[in-house]
Amino acid sequence: MSDNNETSVLGGILKRAYSSVFYENWPIWFGGILIGIMSVITFGWARPWGVVGGLRNWADWFFNYIGIYSQAPFSPIISTGSILTLGLFWGAFGAALMSKQFGIRNAPGFELIKGMVGGTLLGIGAAMAGGCNVGGFYIAISAMSFAGLAMMVGLIAGAYLGLRYLYWEMEHIPSKPPKPSKGSGGKSLVEIEPYIGAIVFLGAIVAAWFYARNAYARVGGLLLCGIVFGVIIQRTRFCFVRCFRDPFMTGEGDMVRAVTYSIVISILGFAALKWTGLRGEEVYVTSTFWFGSLVGGIIFGFGMLLTGGCGSGSVWRAAEGHIKLMVAVFFFALSNSLFKALIKSSEGFQALIGYKFFIPDYIGYKWTVIILLAIFVVYSLVATWNEETDKFTVEM
Amino acid sequence: MADEIKPDVTIDLSGLSCPMPAIKMKKELKGMSSGQVLLAIGTDPGTKNDLPGMCKKGGHELLGVDEEGGTFKYYIRKG
Repeated sequence: MSDNNETSVLGGILKRAYSSVFYENWPIWFGGILIGIMSVITFGWARPWGVVGGLRNWADWFFNYIGIYSQAPFSPIISTGSILTLGLFWGAFGAALMSKQFGIRNAPGFELIKGMVGGTLLGIGAAMAGGCNVGGFYIAISAMSFAGLAMMVGLIAGAYLGLRYLYWEMEHIPSKPPKPSKGSGGKSLVEIEPYIGAIVFLGAIVAAWFYARNAYARVGGLLLCGIVFGVIIQRTRFCFVRCFRDPFMTGEGDMVRAVTYSIVISILGFAALKWTGLRGEEVYVTSTFWFGSLVGGIIFGFGMLLTGGCGSGSVWRAAEGHIKLMVAVFFFALSNSLFKALIKSSEGFQALIGYKFFIPDYIGYKWTVIILLAIFVVYSLVATWNEETDKFTVEM
Repeated sequence: MADEIKPDVTIDLSGLSCPMPAIKMKKELKGMSSGQVLLAIGTDPGTKNDLPGMCKKGGHELLGVDEEGGTFKYYIRKG
């Protein structure tokens, strides 16, 4: 009898744990802190987090397969970029299933066109900036590359222009009545989603174990890191687009604060790893300062508003079943691969894109860390001030 | 449940994903008078997370949310 009671108590605890992880919304600031910690762990384990590198690896394979590229890229099974992005998909897909939020969601035709155009712009912008909002902004700043700050300025400007476009679009392009949505595909399917989700996560553990068994523990670990990013981002609906868009659109600053908490942790972790010599100083300091990062940031920022997703955001929303974002990710990958090849093909273009600018080379680690932290504290304060005053909020 | 509330304006945002539902709601609310109720129908699960903050910021009141088969109904009273 008492055994039965203990079993039911344990069952109750597990049920509550499940519902707090997969049913209740995680606060956005919590997501920011977790992503910051994961960013440092991932760099400590093998390499910094990235998204677009994986997409490009897959597109490179596609172009090699159809004969456009003569050289075969690194195998997507062991390419660390590919594995991190696969993990992001995997984790977000599993988390969406576990929380019964997965569903194939169709979009009106015009939205799909915006997904194609926006995805293409994301690809071009990320190729110019040496990374998407993750590699080109978040990780680049953590890695103390000045190019990251240049992209940040570009992203703010691009998001502002993109929002103005969306306002214009609403006034001038009549929206057709949307097609009836399929929703989550029927009630019975929704009920079994958590079971499929559990199988998806079990598959991840088996895959990581398989990597480790074949002496690819670093890759297996990265797959798990990618999966954790996917779960955190899906559960918190962590959206870098909102960080750049909301201050202009609704005046809200919670996402700016969440990104600030996150990047502060990441900057401190990266500084510790690089300063002590545990990791190379050159890691994620790309030759994109300033033109590539600034202009790439503007293009990427505009593309974010059209698609409604960034590098990480497009991937996790695609994994949740949004067809518009699947289309965007497809075009994002292809255009990034092609534009990167274009940049590489011309020395003049490469020179225009920019040079490496590792901030500590000029002012030392101490001042770099102090100044970067100060920039984000000020950014957060301005966003919070804007919440009260609406100084930057764009009216329709 | 919230479906007993009588809306003054109804807007269908089915199939649209972030940020379009939020922008369209903002536009619709702008054209309404204070105290009127907007019913927004949508399918993007993200809207449910974004709406409380948006209403609070805009001074509106989120009266209720109904969910059935992946379709959400949001009732908002303009502030």
